[in-house]
Amino acid sequence: MTTIPSRLARPTQLSASITDARKRSIQLYRDWYRSAPEIVQLYALNVSPAYVRHCIRERFEANRYVTDQRAIDVLLLKWRQEYQETVNCWKQRDHVEGILLAPQHRPQRSFLQKFYEGRDEDAVRPAATGAI
Amino acid sequence: MSLLNAWKQAALTSRSTGLKHLITSTRLVSSESSSTPANKKSGEIVTPEAPRDVLVADVISGAPTELRHRPVRIYQPTRNTMQSGSGKSERWRIDFDILPGGGRWENPLMGWASSADYMQGTRLSFRSKEDAVHFAEKQGWDYYIQQTTVKRIPPKNYAENFLYRPSKLRILRTK
Repeated sequence: MTTIPSRLARPTQLSASITDARKRSIQLYRDWYRSAPEIVQLYALNVSPAYVRHCIRERFEANRYVTDQRAIDVLLLKWRQEYQETVNCWKQRDHVEGILLAPQHRPQRSFLQKFYEGRDEDAVRPAATGAI
Repeated sequence: MSLLNAWKQAALTSRSTGLKHLITSTRLVSSESSSTPANKKSGEIVTPEAPRDVLVADVISGAPTELRHRPVRIYQPTRNTMQSGSGKSERWRIDFDILPGGGRWENPLMGWASSADYMQGTRLSFRSKEDAVHFAEKQGWDYYIQQTTVKRIPPKNYAENFLYRPSKLRILRTK
């Protein structure tokens, strides 16, 4: 499969206003949303497109209350790049499954489970999974 | 030491109240702890500092969100006791407090010290205190500033030994 390097590439852009930033982020979300079936097919994932959408939604929701326009611009840039890399198949299956679709929250634990794992388990959660 | 504890306490209390606001997305008001409130006169009019515009770097840095709940210390390192020069003690440093549960263990066979805390070996150097505070604010860390101990080295000279003081006895040196 040949890739066209400039496919889905966008020039860096600064939002003119917070309304503009909002519009851009909705547009980005829409792009992700629409490409969910394609992502599933491209990487032969064993999940439904709805699950991919759910994971993407979770990532967007995490930054819902960011109002700093500079931060929003950087986030938009990063997620636009992520989108390009994903849809262009510049990733491998593990990158999608292990990072993009990885669950963001730890499952509920019982009192005893928390006791056994000690006090610092949350604080020392490995952060090396990287990307965004 | 008690001073340090007081600072820690203040930082901790401010942390418990400030936790809810840690996720806030803009930081317009600086959370700088009062560093020199003692020498203010009572009648003096104090103008509040203009709110600074601080970038929310922690949402774009990719750092784990767990770091928002870790207090950091901003301090000036002391002189290396094995050397007489005071090099590297002008800079300000940020380092992370140890974890409350320890997060450390000892290798049962060899006795190596291990830690699960990925920030324990990390320290950041800055040219000034303001730089360090600015950085910590940008990252959304709870910081406290440990005041530098001012050391006064009394002047010494050889002639002091032979100075005549009418009321006091001369220092008797047996060696």
